[in-house]
Amino acid sequence: MSLTIAEAPVERAPLFPRKKKGITPRSIAILVFLAICAAFFCVPLYVIVTTSFKTMDQIRQGDIFSLPLPLTFDAWWNAWDSACSGIRCDGLKVGFWNSMAILFPSLALSLALSSVTGYALALWNVKWANAFLFILFMCAFVPFQIIMIPLIILSSGLKVYGTVWGIAIVHAVLSMPILTLIFRNYYKGIPHEIMSAAMMDSGSFWRIFVEIILPMSANILIVVLILQITSIWNDFLIGLTFGGLGTQPMSVVLANVVITTTGEAAYNENMAAALLTAIPPLLIYFVLGRFFVQGITAGAIKG
Amino acid sequence: MIVRWSRWSPQVALIPAVVVALVAFIGAIGWTVLLSLTRSRRFPEYVIDWSEWSRQYERLFKDSGWEIALKNLLVLGLGSCLAIVFGFVLAALIDREKRGEGIFRTIFLYPLAVSLIVTGVAWRWMFNPTLGVQAFLHALGLTWVNFNWLASGETAMYGIILASVWQGSGFYMALMLAGLKSINSEIWSAARLDGVSFWRLYAEIIIPMMKFTFLTCAILLSLGVVKAYDIVVAMTNGGPGQTTWVPAYFTINAYWAKSNLGYASAAAVIMLAITLAIFLPLVMLTAWRERAREARG
Repeated sequence: MSLTIAEAPVERAPLFPRKKKGITPRSIAILVFLAICAAFFCVPLYVIVTTSFKTMDQIRQGDIFSLPLPLTFDAWWNAWDSACSGIRCDGLKVGFWNSMAILFPSLALSLALSSVTGYALALWNVKWANAFLFILFMCAFVPFQIIMIPLIILSSGLKVYGTVWGIAIVHAVLSMPILTLIFRNYYKGIPHEIMSAAMMDSGSFWRIFVEIILPMSANILIVVLILQITSIWNDFLIGLTFGGLGTQPMSVVLANVVITTTGEAAYNENMAAALLTAIPPLLIYFVLGRFFVQGITAGAIKG
Repeated sequence: MIVRWSRWSPQVALIPAVVVALVAFIGAIGWTVLLSLTRSRRFPEYVIDWSEWSRQYERLFKDSGWEIALKNLLVLGLGSCLAIVFGFVLAALIDREKRGEGIFRTIFLYPLAVSLIVTGVAWRWMFNPTLGVQAFLHALGLTWVNFNWLASGETAMYGIILASVWQGSGFYMALMLAGLKSINSEIWSAARLDGVSFWRLYAEIIIPMMKFTFLTCAILLSLGVVKAYDIVVAMTNGGPGQTTWVPAYFTINAYWAKSNLGYASAAAVIMLAITLAIFLPLVMLTAWRERAREARG
């Protein structure tokens, strides 16, 4: 079966571009409406940015939309260095480095595993390829909870439970089906002639992959890389279930800092903590937006 | 020699993926189903007493927390449909106007790069009754406004819906925009020549043409709703009381807070059943779409 759903939308220039219109009342109305919606989308970002720079004294005055006066970076420093989650007061820096330590092995593992699998399924004659693809398609939909308990038991057995390695491996395992489908769809588009020529050249499975296919995959690699970076960074549930004390990723530490406050919450610190966690994926989005959108639509079924 | 080797290499290269699929997915699902039939509590037990194999499920459906979770799932699903409607309206307007497309798309899509935990934290702060948006509106003299949604069980789900719609609308806008762009541009000119009104054009021509896109969006949305967990934890942590429990939250809670393996497994199995119920139409939709494409040539 074809997995039409996993295709990234392609920007196409219209065949017959509509004529440029002048400014009509209708287009003014549309633009005003869109601007109001855009404002609605920006409000939370505006609020967390301004709150993170305020002093607690100003926050207590209760004007959430005011600009920070005086402007202070204290909350940012505290959130990074000394915010308390539970009894530990090490800030988000521990979570940040844990997230980094999870990210890189996990990226290497999942990209290697799924690109080779996608390549083998798309371009080599494997009899049970279609059956296997269907199984992968189903696996991509499975809610995490249904496999959580066995994975916890298995990873404890393998002595990786509660380590950053364990989290990295679980990420690679869980993203394998969807990434394989994305790679397979991409490699399916490679012209048959190229493969035949490569085979005639007595190229072996691995040589063709390394010398011909990989150099052709730059585009899809960037898309998948960005998809994986953002989803691993933004993940909460896997980090929560498989992270031990001191190995939790940044999002889990953030949740602990915000949810488990005793006494008056330091809202400026909370917002600075939220921003610190959100900056890496936002940066990727604003710099590499096109690939981000392609990846997010291709990986949509991952949810 | 090389040719022979190449015949086997693809199969060898597929071994890791096959092992992962068989162990971590299919095997693990079977394992969870098995656990759900046992009396496992803190530690897994594998003895099934066939005379009462369904006891975890019977308990589950008598549990008021589970009932709340299922109801909330429905509420969240219906409420989140707003994201599709909103996404379509935004896409249609952007596609019609063209001016500022890049800027608007960037703004409407950025929440997607923000994790649900951060989304929840941000909205939780805005819902703060004494220092948040409500305080601001009250200071303006609009004292009748109640924006303290998260504090009451009756409105807390709406708060979660608002935050999820904020986070997800851009995604449906992107899908809809792709769908709108694939509509043949002659239709627009033809409609203009015929003097078809704006509303009729959308209601009778454009939306029916985009039925596949709408269905895809609806299925993706439902799958996302079944998995909704992070946003609930970040905004209400299930509270007040149990009023914002959803099945995903219930399952994790049964495992961590109650450390009841069998019970959590039973809840997870029901989650899988709900997912399958949504997944089957997707398979049919894909097949149907394929046939429609072949019929067109």
